Amino acid sequence: MNTETKQILTSDGIPLEQSLKKAERINKIKAFLLVAPLLLFLLITYIFPIGEMFSRSIDDKMITNMLPKTFKAMESWDGQELPSEEVFESFLIDYQVLIDAKIQGKLTQRLNKEKNGFNSILKKLKRKMKKFEDGNYKEQVLSVHKRFKDVAYWRAIKRTAPPYSVAKYLKAVDMFEDENGNYVQVEEKRRIYKKLWIRTFEVAFFVTIFCFLMGYPIAHLLATIPMKYSNLLMICVLLPFWTSLLVRTASWMILLQQQGLVNDFFVLIGLVADNNRPEMMYNKVGTYVAMSQILLPFMVLPLYSVMKTVSPSLMRAGKSLGGTPFVSFWKIYFPLTVSGIGAGSLLVFILAVGYYITPELVGGASGKLISNQIAYHMKQTLDWSFASAMGLMLLCGVMAIYWVYNKLVGIDNIKLG
Amino acid sequence: MKKLSKLLLALSFVLSITSSAFAVTVVSWGGAYTNSQKLGYGDPTAKKLGIPVNWVDYSGGLSEITAQKEAGAITWDIIDVYAMDTINGCDEGLFVEFDFDKDFGPGSDGVKASDDFFAPMPSACAVGNILYSWTYAYNHDTIGKKKPTSIKDFFNTKKFPGKRGIYGSAMTNLEMALQAEGVNVGKGNGLVYRKLEAEGGVTRAMDKIKALCEDPDGGCVFWSGGAKPPELLVSGEVVMTTGWNGRFFNAIMDGAPLTQVWDGQGLDYQYMVVVEGGPNQADAMKVIKEMMSTDGLAGSAKHIAYAPFRKSSLAVIAKGEPWYKDGKTNMLPEMPSSKKNTKKYFLVDAQYWADNKTEIGEQWEAMKAALK
Repeated sequence: MNTETKQILTSDGIPLEQSLKKAERINKIKAFLLVAPLLLFLLITYIFPIGEMFSRSIDDKMITNMLPKTFKAMESWDGQELPSEEVFESFLIDYQVLIDAKIQGKLTQRLNKEKNGFNSILKKLKRKMKKFEDGNYKEQVLSVHKRFKDVAYWRAIKRTAPPYSVAKYLKAVDMFEDENGNYVQVEEKRRIYKKLWIRTFEVAFFVTIFCFLMGYPIAHLLATIPMKYSNLLMICVLLPFWTSLLVRTASWMILLQQQGLVNDFFVLIGLVADNNRPEMMYNKVGTYVAMSQILLPFMVLPLYSVMKTVSPSLMRAGKSLGGTPFVSFWKIYFPLTVSGIGAGSLLVFILAVGYYITPELVGGASGKLISNQIAYHMKQTLDWSFASAMGLMLLCGVMAIYWVYNKLVGIDNIKLG
Repeated sequence: MKKLSKLLLALSFVLSITSSAFAVTVVSWGGAYTNSQKLGYGDPTAKKLGIPVNWVDYSGGLSEITAQKEAGAITWDIIDVYAMDTINGCDEGLFVEFDFDKDFGPGSDGVKASDDFFAPMPSACAVGNILYSWTYAYNHDTIGKKKPTSIKDFFNTKKFPGKRGIYGSAMTNLEMALQAEGVNVGKGNGLVYRKLEAEGGVTRAMDKIKALCEDPDGGCVFWSGGAKPPELLVSGEVVMTTGWNGRFFNAIMDGAPLTQVWDGQGLDYQYMVVVEGGPNQADAMKVIKEMMSTDGLAGSAKHIAYAPFRKSSLAVIAKGEPWYKDGKTNMLPEMPSSKKNTKKYFLVDAQYWADNKTEIGEQWEAMKAALK
């Protein structure tokens, strides 16, 4: 048997296989064109910004290009004593170039971020160096300000030499690279980020638990009572969901503050003394309460849609086969709703990990999360590369949770409805 | 009918484009302060020059304008900023560098601008707007029989138990804490900054605040917007809080039972800058010139107790007393610069904060996050 005889031709003489492939290819292109806008959208709004964030978090090229001579002269410097005359001279040359181009301010800002105190001494240097005499630059620079005699400032300049650096990632876990290239912890009173990472995941975890404990009975009630009541209840769930986040957070502030309604009520019924009102806001309690309420619909809705599909006859069958209500719930009903629990928990957890405005408003100092620090560095210190690094770490954390979840429960088992 | 509606639509479209092209956007801190600026010199300037002036609120810092610049879509023209931010923004090339005596007119008495403004500018991009003060206040209805009178009382939880309202960043908090530790600031002698620069100075100040916040008789609520401190006092959430004197003053004028304590106050200047490459830079220069004129600055003091930056404006107010908008209240005694309010004060050192903001900020955030 040879292949010639097996080949089937279409009516216009082209082999069927080829013709089919062609038709399929056209379909594939059509399908691709249909999703192309979405793909493009994802690329522009998702992949590209994340890439941009990553490059921003490690990119330190600007200063590398600003002080080329200085960094070259510094290569042989060991960082122990003050650098040599050559370094000082190169630095003055580089600095003069920047002044002539009127961009010396950017160098000032960058170096001041690396080590505080650069801002004023570089400005002073700019004023004084106009009158510098030739030669003996080291002595002249040192006489400008006592901080120039501090080796730490020159080490800071050397640290900025490489075009790329992972310093921001180290900083996000309270570490830095010392002169010998070792990664060491920052001094104790400056440690903050590790604590906040743990707190962020802790808050997200407990908010998820609270939402589950409150949301499960609600969803069950919604799914089982007659339609006319359940619609009304559904509106009770959805109405806050449609209300602005800020409005809901602000209402919690009115309720929870020390002179607020809840405390007034406690005092009225004699639960607490008037001068000893408990603090329920501007701390972690406030963050927990407000976030649990705000995220509750994200738990209730997937649970409800899954429970709606569970036939009531299953429970009846379980009971008629001799199971107690608890056993039939645990063995039949609960396993059928696991996919909804998974979806709800994942939604709530991921939203909670990145929550910003609610902890900012009701969290006080002890209820602040890592996202508040990201905002702080975006807004206050303008250290956007550090904010990017933390943002990416948060993203990776969420992806890790997603991965673990996928291994444990399986992502295919998630049902949103 | 259809034609008419089409015509109207086209007309409104053209109008909306032209009006937004003409308008100058001024960004400030909102609330009673922006109100005083809008009524005091914003609206009169717009009327006089025929250039609409829009007011936008923000909460300070250079992040928004930096983002606008990076995105290449600048929408702000003039910004009201802290002194240290004029330094940082000028370094970054965000703002226009002024040719001071050319860009700003002489005072009404003919004195040239650079002599009429009563302090040198912290950077070439800044023009002085007001002199304001960081004071603290208490609710005299609820504080009890004893009344706080000194900056030390703010930190004294034995005598005055209860929570304190504290500004969310380190600036001015550290200066006040060191005064409670016994540093005498005199009449703006700068000693407090030398103490902060000395070894362990910042830590000492921060420990004082940490102790206040963790004290079972004390405790802290951090504020960031200027409207918050009077609100915290009126709602009874705190017994004392730091704040901006103009906001306290306006709350008092509106009937709030508050009293300000001027002892150890922090005098600070507030500045305006023009954004480099803003949407309407040429008009913005005209607008800022008009707003920062003698009458412009004096006008804003009709609505809030901040001192105008020009000596000639102060003279106008002195002549026109009672200057407050209600027609009964003398304004000069309420100003941060008045004699009775400046018995003991520190001048906020912009260069110190431009230098040290990042590192102190990190330590401050770490302190806050570790509060019990």
